[in-house]
Amino acid sequence: MALIEIENLSVTYRSKGRSVTAVESVSLGVEARQSFGLVGESGSGKSTILRAICGLAPVTGGTIRIGGDLVPTPRGRAFSARVQMVFQDPYASLHPRHTLDRTLSEPLAIHGIGQTDARVMQALDDVGLPQSFRFRYPHQLSGGQRQRVAIARALMLRPEILLLDEPTSALDASVQAETLNLLNRLRTERGLTFLMVSHDLAVIDHMCDRILVMQNGRAVEELSRQDLASAKMKTDYARSLFSASADRMLEP
Amino acid sequence: MTLLSVRNLKVSFDTETGVVEAVRGVSFDLGRERLGIVGESGSGKTMTGRSVLRLIRPPGRIEADEMRFDGVDLMGASETQMRALRGRRIAMVMQDPKYSLNPVMKVGAQLMEGLRQRDGLTRAAAHIKAVEALEAVQIRDPERVMLAYPHELSGGMGQRVMIAMMLIPNPDLLIADEPTSALDVTVQAEVLAILDGLVRDRGMGLIFISHDLRLVARFCDRVLVMYRGKIVEELAARDLLHARHPYTQGLLNCLPRIGGPRQPLPGLDRSADWAV
Repeated sequence: MALIEIENLSVTYRSKGRSVTAVESVSLGVEARQSFGLVGESGSGKSTILRAICGLAPVTGGTIRIGGDLVPTPRGRAFSARVQMVFQDPYASLHPRHTLDRTLSEPLAIHGIGQTDARVMQALDDVGLPQSFRFRYPHQLSGGQRQRVAIARALMLRPEILLLDEPTSALDASVQAETLNLLNRLRTERGLTFLMVSHDLAVIDHMCDRILVMQNGRAVEELSRQDLASAKMKTDYARSLFSASADRMLEP
Repeated sequence: MTLLSVRNLKVSFDTETGVVEAVRGVSFDLGRERLGIVGESGSGKTMTGRSVLRLIRPPGRIEADEMRFDGVDLMGASETQMRALRGRRIAMVMQDPKYSLNPVMKVGAQLMEGLRQRDGLTRAAAHIKAVEALEAVQIRDPERVMLAYPHELSGGMGQRVMIAMMLIPNPDLLIADEPTSALDVTVQAEVLAILDGLVRDRGMGLIFISHDLRLVARFCDRVLVMYRGKIVEELAARDLLHARHPYTQGLLNCLPRIGGPRQPLPGLDRSADWAV
């Protein structure tokens, strides 16, 4: 049984009499400790799936199960302790007027977990930030450092599942490499399950075992990592994404 | 033929904690070709692009031994002369359509403003030219886009509107600062094809500023690699894989590749002599 099971998920936004279907009956399953990637152009609904899992998007059809159980609405504390999300833009996802210490200790306070001091220090260590950063504000950090804080925050409650929404698209190439390495190391150390969204096929290929290609809110094709590397996609759309990938330029 | 030549360009900012040098002695020549400038954030690539138009506000200072565009001395030119150059002869496409278009003005009005003010066209004539400009960047329904506000357009559409706007006066030099960073790979390919066609058909010079080495290599003729305000390597785009400078190699190696090994990606070594 898969850890994350999504069946026929549909998400429709309604406002002022108009409705937009962002996701239309998409099904996917992610095994425990697996890393699953969602790719597609903007507006294909890949981020909406992550938001729907967290209860941040209006689900209009289908089911979401974590570990076999339907997710409750509202999601509640037990869900937060199992599933956490890292957002795309570290400039926008951290509270500008909270120090790192406050950002990192808030989940502990909400969940009534003690040893705040030790846990915050440990969290900074885990993501490779100096402990002297503890009382800094987000604006005093670089983009890569901020994304490390966002990852540390997501890991404060020791979740099993991390939902990663374009975690490196706002970062420079060298900082992207450091962040991807950090995520991979944490996944091995803690046995995490990743569900990751990116528009960069090379990043998805580096991070994920299986890949779902999406277009206009629908699933187009599911590929294994081997299929992608050997260009064995069956649909034209997946092929066009593959050939438009900037990475192709490096092929001899 | 050299369109633009820059010798020993320096950009510095006076701050409370002393002088910050954003660009430290950059020299290059540009013909009617596609020149890429690559580097990480803070490498001075955007400042180099803006200096050409003298678009750096105090406390920033621009110094150069020489900066010449088509016979005009850009360092000695008066502000009036610069205004005559900006837009008409040298245009710049900014990074983010969300922040660079006027949010409370319809796209059509923004496109027509320059045509009416600068070229003195009538409303009807300006409308026709603006629609043509949108068609040139392959916007399918230009009449609808003319009536839309910027927030009603997608990122790719907004970026194309900005390119259309910059190309109306038919400039000789286009400076594109990360014109595709906010876009998807598929839209990115379209925007690049449009720019490519313009360089070829109009014989325009293009400075393409980006942090994506692979993209620049695929699209440009020549590449300048910048690090901390200096050019560390200049090479033909097709030779990029044989780059000699450790920084360029480092930038290439730290990118994941489809079908590449699952080892940790190599980081950049900033301890060597060149990094200081």
